[in-house]
Amino acid sequence: MNSRRNFLYRTSASLGSVALSALLERDARAAGILAPKAAHHKSKAKACIFLTMEGGPSHIDTFDPKPKLEQLHMTEFARESKFASAMESGRRYYVKSPFAFRRAGQCGISMSEHFEQLAKVADDICWYRGATAESSNHPTALFHLNTGNKFGGDPALGAWSTYGLGTVNENLPAYVVLPDTAFPQGGSGNWSNGFLPPSYQGTPLRASGSPVLDMEPPEGVDRASQLSNLGFLNSLNRMHAEAHPSQTDLQARIESYELAFRMQAEMPGVIDMDKESEETKTLYGIGAKETDAVGRRCLLARRLVEAGVRFVQVYASGWDSHDYLEGAHRNRIRAVDRPVAALLTDLKRRGMLDSTLVVWAGEFGRSPDNGVRKGTTTWGRDHNPGAMSIWMAGGGSKAGAIVGSTDEIGAKAVECVHPLRDVHVTLLHLLGLDDAKLTYFHAGRFRQLSQFGGSIISELVG
Amino acid sequence: MGLAGIAMFAQGPGARIEGEAIFHKHVRPMLEEKCAGCHGKAQAISQFRATAREDLLKGGNRGPSLVPGDAKSGTLLLALEQTTALKMPPGAKLPEETIAAVRRWVELGAPWPEGPAPAAAAQGSDADAWAFGPLRPGKLTSIDAYLQAELAKAKLPLAARASRRELIRRATQDVWGLPPTPEQVEAFVRDARPDAVAWKDLVDRLLASPRYGERWARHWLDVTRYADTGGFSNDYERPNAWRYREYVIRSLNNDKPYFQFVREQIAGDEMDASNPEMLVATGFLRMGPWEHTGMSVAAVTRQQWLDDVTHSTTATFLGLTMECARCHDHKFDPIPTKEYYRVQAVFAASEFAEPAAKFLPGEARDDFAAGRKRLEDLMQRNEARVKEYELLCLNRAAQKRGLTGPSEIPDKEARMIRQNKRELTPEEFERFKVYQKRQQLYKESIKRYEELAYGLQHAKKAQDVHILPVGNLETPGERVDPGYLSAVWRGPQAGPADVTTEIAGRRRELAEWIGSEKNPLTARVIVNRVWHWHFGHGIVRTPNDFGKLGARPTHPELLDWLAAEFVANQGSIKHLHRMILSSEAYQRGSQPADAELVKKADLDNKLLSYFPPRRMEAEEIRDSMLAVSGELSLETGGPGVFAAINRDIAQQPQQIMGTLRPAWEPAAKRADRNRRTIYTFQMRNLVDPMLEVLNAASMNESTAKRDETTIPTQAYALFNSDFARAQALALAQRAGNIDGVWRRILLRAPTAAEKTLAASHLAKRTEWHKQHAPPARGERKALVRAITSELTGDEVMITEDIDPLPYEENLHPGDVAPGVRALADIALALLNSSEFLYPY
Repeated sequence: MNSRRNFLYRTSASLGSVALSALLERDARAAGILAPKAAHHKSKAKACIFLTMEGGPSHIDTFDPKPKLEQLHMTEFARESKFASAMESGRRYYVKSPFAFRRAGQCGISMSEHFEQLAKVADDICWYRGATAESSNHPTALFHLNTGNKFGGDPALGAWSTYGLGTVNENLPAYVVLPDTAFPQGGSGNWSNGFLPPSYQGTPLRASGSPVLDMEPPEGVDRASQLSNLGFLNSLNRMHAEAHPSQTDLQARIESYELAFRMQAEMPGVIDMDKESEETKTLYGIGAKETDAVGRRCLLARRLVEAGVRFVQVYASGWDSHDYLEGAHRNRIRAVDRPVAALLTDLKRRGMLDSTLVVWAGEFGRSPDNGVRKGTTTWGRDHNPGAMSIWMAGGGSKAGAIVGSTDEIGAKAVECVHPLRDVHVTLLHLLGLDDAKLTYFHAGRFRQLSQFGGSIISELVG
Repeated sequence: MGLAGIAMFAQGPGARIEGEAIFHKHVRPMLEEKCAGCHGKAQAISQFRATAREDLLKGGNRGPSLVPGDAKSGTLLLALEQTTALKMPPGAKLPEETIAAVRRWVELGAPWPEGPAPAAAAQGSDADAWAFGPLRPGKLTSIDAYLQAELAKAKLPLAARASRRELIRRATQDVWGLPPTPEQVEAFVRDARPDAVAWKDLVDRLLASPRYGERWARHWLDVTRYADTGGFSNDYERPNAWRYREYVIRSLNNDKPYFQFVREQIAGDEMDASNPEMLVATGFLRMGPWEHTGMSVAAVTRQQWLDDVTHSTTATFLGLTMECARCHDHKFDPIPTKEYYRVQAVFAASEFAEPAAKFLPGEARDDFAAGRKRLEDLMQRNEARVKEYELLCLNRAAQKRGLTGPSEIPDKEARMIRQNKRELTPEEFERFKVYQKRQQLYKESIKRYEELAYGLQHAKKAQDVHILPVGNLETPGERVDPGYLSAVWRGPQAGPADVTTEIAGRRRELAEWIGSEKNPLTARVIVNRVWHWHFGHGIVRTPNDFGKLGARPTHPELLDWLAAEFVANQGSIKHLHRMILSSEAYQRGSQPADAELVKKADLDNKLLSYFPPRRMEAEEIRDSMLAVSGELSLETGGPGVFAAINRDIAQQPQQIMGTLRPAWEPAAKRADRNRRTIYTFQMRNLVDPMLEVLNAASMNESTAKRDETTIPTQAYALFNSDFARAQALALAQRAGNIDGVWRRILLRAPTAAEKTLAASHLAKRTEWHKQHAPPARGERKALVRAITSELTGDEVMITEDIDPLPYEENLHPGDVAPGVRALADIALALLNSSEFLYPY
């Protein structure tokens, strides 16, 4: 691979602080399109870390146990419906959870035995079992979770949030995405600015390669050369702008080049994990095979929020357990358990949890039953938009609450049932934004994250 | 109950007028927008409808909704105020202002006048739906005369005519999307003939070139959302979609009458199924993102297409956004939900098809055989991999049974073993899935070279179309027959505006209605689009939205005059280009004559007292960089070519259903990588990031107007990317010196000040390059990528085979002298300069 792109947050940063020329010395100016804006109402949350469990974690095997499935285990039935996909149709059988469950915290949330660390911070979390998705297909459901629109093309939650609130550090992207090794289905449509200006697009910081595409010059071009060439360009552009005084965008272009290279200077420091203590790294599970990848993303998320990034989305993929539920879900739970618990612990001890809204969600829950696969039964689950578990912590959410419930087999949410759009409206509310006011006129109508309006789930608000 | 009944509450005519005004401004919009979806004609939840005064008086399960004169009674205000369990509308409470208005309206006796708001009625239909009426051209006879009338009112001085140097650059970038050559510039500047004559010659030359269709097809593909893939999970290739791109380029270059162009795209197959051109045209109807897999519901994905094609047909040709009408009667435009579904019913008798369609002249290319061969090689190699895993299974099974080899396993059993792959470890199975999927992808890709059209055919049975309240498929309302939009233009049909209910002919009838020379909206919309693409903004500034929420025309008589001229010239787009390009307005300088006055009197340059400068568009930047570097290939046609995009993104692992998408492999031949962007493969889930940051059009939503934002990541793409640097190096080698670099990129010699600056920078950089040898060229080797296995939750490494074709490298810094590398630094700066990126 290309060795110039070797300052990966995955393997620790190699570019330390670099002597900066006058070009870069200017203070971060809060100006332009990303300037901080007043929230619609007072709120605790100033930033959001959205932990996206891509693939659809099973609520039944994580935070919403269903003992009834013990009795039904491996009993068969058939389903045919005009509104069922091929996946959901035909001969099926019920599947019990392979995991033991136990209660955690004062709140008494019942969670899978493999969440060892998260159990310790259970009372900081607001648990929600009443959410419903609308699509049983990955990219449509993931587009829905991320953008409010199943078919994609709309701005992501992070784009809407930064459109509403701006950023406090213009030297960094306002909305950062930390993808898993592989981008999710649907790719960058999941962090799209949609019809909002591209300034609100999510910037993926990739775990390998250049964290921001082409942020670094190619191998063999040192910092001095880069600055010297930029200085030459700047002189040309200034002469040109002076000759065209009525065109203000020419000045904006000069400034955006300066900003780009201030970002280039600031980013390595922000993503440099070596600045963290061994204790912190261990807390997040960095260095341990199982937890290293998610641990780095979670720690980086905290560092980015600390540096003034408004919205960070962390992906942890691999939850799509149609087969081998026991092994696959156990591995995924262990991969996120320590890092995510550490994130809450770390934010709390730094006094950041109150002002940082942390959300944990997949694109849908999983079914209590499975289809007959390859002519036989396997211990797995299909997609289930009718029920899912979501939780949030900090940022004004109601710590220790267990809200909503699903039926006795986990097929459908039955109590405090809300569609995802209400979850979106609630998240915006916690960030100080009113979905009905956060609109953008596009294609003949005022568009909003919830699409057509939604309501706040007051039970989740502290 | 009539108005007489209200008099008892109202305190005189003043109150009635106030009540009616509130009704028009607040009450009716609220009822239509917030209530009618669930309490409307199609469904009445809680036995309650809110479509007429009588309905409200009667109320539903909860009793009367409205008691005129008494704001304390009735469920309407109770629900709006949300002080009890009854909270409406679901979701956020309405603004206090609206609720207060409703309260006042009830107190005033809740008057409910029929018909449009008086104010609108007084202004006539022009004010309400100006775009739908017949063309009303003004009496003036030139673009400049119409513009001048408004300019004179504002007393704005005009910018002087632009210099010839500026003009040739402006026109060439506009018409071709490419810069002129330095020789073309000098010839035009030195042309001794009068301005008008030289200019006309230039315009004719530009419009006659195939480069014109390549550039203007891009505009049309923005609106229609062209892509070579379908998006969503798998982002499956649409191997024959490229022929629709070719169709658009060809139609523009041949100056196909616009109305015919419209009709062909809606109903080409019904007009003449024996003509490949007609079949390929209907690709338009399938341009939206779409996918159906085992995980989606067939009824849902079918409806998704029906909605998509209804929206895109009306937005593209009629400039009407119908999204609102899908769920409720359009609250601003006279488009009832029922008519939305009547248009949809036109498409309900059609289904997807790839009918045989012989290649047209110019479509088949010499390299098809080589392209097919390459894919066959890839398939063969991949198949061998699949077989390896099957053999592995058999060997293991044999070993388990203590047999000497797989040949001893009975055939039937062996088949099962090969099929089920139970002998593989989860990790092996994860790898196997990569190759299995790839086999499926290659099989699609190889269809690129088949003589098929990406289009539609008649279904055996027409699907019934029902009104879907709130767009919900599971609660179908009234069944509707195909029809037109009654408010837009009634056309030649007598009586009710119906489309045939037969399976055949529905789209042809709709096409004849939309694509009629007599349909004023169709003509206005295209004339405005063309104006917009020339000037950067339309006479109507919302080219996809001619409805009431869209912008009003800044020069309504000019718009209608242009539309009438356009119709009189058989819908010739080239004629329209000539009219616009020959106007003085188009040839004005780009600096306002009095910047201060313009700021006060015409900040948005609506009046065109000067030519609006613009930044080049994304594809135009890429093409122009290739042109000035000398690397551009002007080959035409064929399936999408794979350009060299940012390598990190090209190799970025991305999930598709069940496995990883293959890495993006740039074409092996340098010339193929460097073709015009219009010919590059357009993948919905992997957009060239350089184009993306430069505001390329979305492939999912119709783009009527490109944004032009300035963001820092543009600097990375243009200053640091391999692409930009490769162009700078190739250019430096060809240009030889500072003067050459300036002439190629900025089409002029450097000024003395620039030359001094550049010479000093060049000397410094040459010194540096002498002391720093460039790093050696990287080796091409098999790519290893990781995926999180959905089987085990573990990371699995997957080896990607590299392309079998020998890769023709770009010029490498190590191939040239330090002086050339230094000159490339200068060239890179100029390629990033505002003067290059903003053609005036």
